[in-house]
Parts: sequence; C-alpha cells; structure tokens
Amino acid sequence: MDGLDDVFGDLYANVDAVVLFSPSGSYYERFTDIEDLDLIVIGTENAVGAETFVELPLAFDDIRERIKFGLEGALEQDLIDGGDELLCATNTFSDSIDTLSRVRADAEAHTGIYDLFVKSRAEPEVVKAVLELAIELGKKGQKGKPVGALFVVGDAGKVMNKSRPLSYNPFEKSHVHVGDPIVNVMLKEFSRLDGAFVISDAGKIVSAYRYLEPSAEGVDIPKGLGARHMAGGAITRDTNAITIVLSESDGLVRAFKAGELILEVDPEAY
Amino acid sequence: MDWQTLIDEPAVIAAAVLALGIVVGYLVGRLNEELLTASGVPETVEGTPFERTAQSIGTSTVGIVARLSSWFIYGIAVLTAIHIAQLLDTDAFWLRVTEFIPQVFIAVLVLIIGFIVADKAELVVGEYLRGVKLPEVSVLPKLVKYTVLYVTLIIALGQIGVHVVALLILLTVYALGLVFVGSLAFKDFLVSSAAGIYLLLNQPYGIGDRIRIGEQTGIVQEVDLFVTKIEDESEEYIVPNRKVFEDGIVRIRE
Repeated sequence: MDGLDDVFGDLYANVDAVVLFSPSGSYYERFTDIEDLDLIVIGTENAVGAETFVELPLAFDDIRERIKFGLEGALEQDLIDGGDELLCATNTFSDSIDTLSRVRADAEAHTGIYDLFVKSRAEPEVVKAVLELAIELGKKGQKGKPVGALFVVGDAGKVMNKSRPLSYNPFEKSHVHVGDPIVNVMLKEFSRLDGAFVISDAGKIVSAYRYLEPSAEGVDIPKGLGARHMAGGAITRDTNAITIVLSESDGLVRAFKAGELILEVDPEAY
Repeated sequence: MDWQTLIDEPAVIAAAVLALGIVVGYLVGRLNEELLTASGVPETVEGTPFERTAQSIGTSTVGIVARLSSWFIYGIAVLTAIHIAQLLDTDAFWLRVTEFIPQVFIAVLVLIIGFIVADKAELVVGEYLRGVKLPEVSVLPKLVKYTVLYVTLIIALGQIGVHVVALLILLTVYALGLVFVGSLAFKDFLVSSAAGIYLLLNQPYGIGDRIRIGEQTGIVQEVDLFVTKIEDESEEYIVPNRKVFEDGIVRIRE
C-alpha cells in the first residue's frame, strides 16, 4: 500500500492549513499532536474546544456548500488568505470524516453568506432559528400544502415604520421569541396569513400581517420571482434588516441582505 | 415449663421484640426506598458528588437514606429488647437515649439532605454561569455550596443539642452582609427590572414607536427586562428602564 502515498501524497503536499469539518474529539486530538500544522475546525458547534473555530449556521448536507460556507467564514475571520491551499477533511457517506479534498481559498467568490449570519443586526441564533423554521416550513408545508412565507429579521423599529398592518396583529402585547418549539408551531399556523412577519434583533416576534412599503428601485433580484421576493428584497435595501423568504411556487428558501439575494437553499436537501 | 411461663420470660419477649423490630425495620427500609425512587429522587440527585461517592462505595443516596431508617428502627428494637430483658438496669440512661436517638436520626438525615442540596445548588449555579467565561465567577457556585452546608451544619448541631448561638450570629452577619452588598450592587438592576416588568406588561410603547426618554429620541428597537434600545439615524441608545420612570416617556406622533 506504500505506493498509494506517492499517488495521493499530492493531495496534501504543501497545504497551508488543514480544515476539519465537525471532527470527533479523538480525531481532533490526533491532529493537535502534529507540529507546525495550521488547524481550523468548522462545524455547527465547537464540540472539541478548538482554538480556531468557524461556526456553520446549518449542517449543510451538500459537501460543496459546506466547504464553501466554512471557508468564507474562515476568510472573513482572517484565519486564511485568498489563494491558500487547504486540505478539507469532511464526511460524505458516514458520520465520521471520510473525505479529503484539496481546495484553494478564493477571496473573490465572496457571496456574503457568512455575513448574513455573523454581521447582521439580528443575533446569529435568531437568523439561524428563522432559517431553520423556513426550511422546515418548506419541507412540510402547512397541512401538506406548499406555503409561502416572508420573515423580516432585525432592525424591527425601522421595518415597522416602513410597513403598515394588513389586519390586527396577532402578536400584539405578546412576548414570544423565535426558536421556542411552541412558537414554531404557532408561526406555521400563522403562515397562511398574508403579509410579512417582523422579528426583532433579539428574536421577539413583533408582528404578523405586515404589508411592507419599501421603495423598490434599484433592487436587483432575479427575474421571475414574485411580489413576495420583491418586497422582501427591497426592505433590506431600505433598512438594516435581512429577509428570509420561502417561495410558494418553487419551494426554495432565499435570504436577502442589502437588496441582494445571498442564499438560496432547497428545503428538500436538508 | 409450659407456654405461659415461657411467654412471661423477659428474655423471650425481648427476642420477640428484636425479631419484630428487624422485620419492621427491613420493611420500612424497603418502603422508603420504593417511595423515594417513585418520587424521582434518584434523577434529582444524579450527578452530585454525594451521589457519586455513594455510587463508588456500591450504594446510592436512596439506599443510604433507606438503610438509615432501617437502622433507626433496629436500634429502637435493640434498646427495647435490652430494656425488657433487663440486662442493664439503667432507667436514667434509657430516658436519655429515647430522647437522643430520634434527634441523631434527624441530624444525620438533615446532613445528608444538606449535602445533596448543596451539591445540587453548586451544579445548578455553575451550569447557569457557564455562559459567563470568567474564571472569577467559578467562586460563586462554591460560595452557594458552602453557605448551604453551613446552614445544614447549624441545623444538625442544633438538633443534637450543641449550642449554636455563636454560629447563628456568624450566619446572621453573613446573610445581612450578603443582602446589603447584593442590594447595593444590584440596586439599579432591581429598579430597572421592576420598571421593565411594567413596560413589558403594559407596553406603553412598542417596537417601531418614536419616543423620547430624557434627551434621547429615536425609534424603539427592542424592549427587554433591563433596557430599552432606541435608535435614531445613526446612533443607538441603550437606556436602562429605570430612566424611563425617572424621566418619563414622550411619545412622538407626527
């Protein structure tokens, strides 16, 4: 089997850093013993207590998405530089690490996905909770039927001033926050309502039934998306909020920030 | 040698009492164990050092408490048997012992409960403060633990009749100090949270309203228990809720 080292050695020759995706504790320990090795751990939580850690907001199923997002986070935190050769160790078929890929970090391919979570006004957990909710809603629909939904997250004060109520606000004088399981059920039920949900920086659900009134000029979103996406995209240009939109027609979950489409995920893939 | 004389024999009655005591003691022990298990005590004490120590010597907290009640009844049975058999002619001793034994029993029980409560409190406080990554904070759980242990000790000692006045005075001074320092340190928090409860319940202003508190004017972005966040064009003010009551709120309507 010695011959294999010669063939596959190219894969890890002269890499600038090794990137471990959600390693197990013992696996990580083995790497820390190696000297002169830049080690970066990426995962949904820092289970191994690594020093250099990049958090993934979702357990991306698609390995390319996972690496792309993780490396963008690492670039953002200045852990790596553009052009660095990286050896990414991740899992594809089993729960433990079984795949190696050599990736060149590309500083140009900045999509802002990482910013969406970490540099938004709203707290990362809130963004994560809303995104998970939208994905779940997209997967199951409401009582089996596909639904659309529009969540405006963060900068709620300004958003409220740039929108008007379509009907009585069911969340008036309530103190519910996203992330509670019971609240998710509630939001699912309310998702048949028209209009947007407004969620504050700290995750408080401020209102449902909001009609967003941003000025839509200069909003660059792909043609073919409907009024919900247009409204969702436009409000992020006028305020510092981000929006997470579940499309009723194609079932995709999209996130907008600063008037631009930043993330597009298929709920079925999770 | 017929039955009548046999039954009248003190030694026989003593033996009978002893046997009865052992049976009742065993049964009470078992009953206690069942009751404690049914009421979820094992889950509650799980993870405390006391339970771990108990586990390492091959028993459990429930086991120890149950065993204790058994031994308490065994002890009474033995003493009663001795008394009946008149092995020792010690009326005075007997009187003291009957008073003393329940007290010791309760004292031991209090100690066990105290240890568990102290450990549990340490765990809970430690868990709660885990988010605060400051090494100094790790003193707090210990402080809670030893406070509980100290109170337990006083109760236990008081139970078996040791004079605890000095310890009580120490406890009072400590508690007063804690209350005094605590209320001084958290005064603003307490006032703010009291105001915050009013704000959250009555919502005189909500997210999106334009208000003025003191000199700060802006749109409300967030209201929580302690602070209200208001924001104007470029600045975000985080105003303690007590200011809302000191300065009043101005709602601005165009």
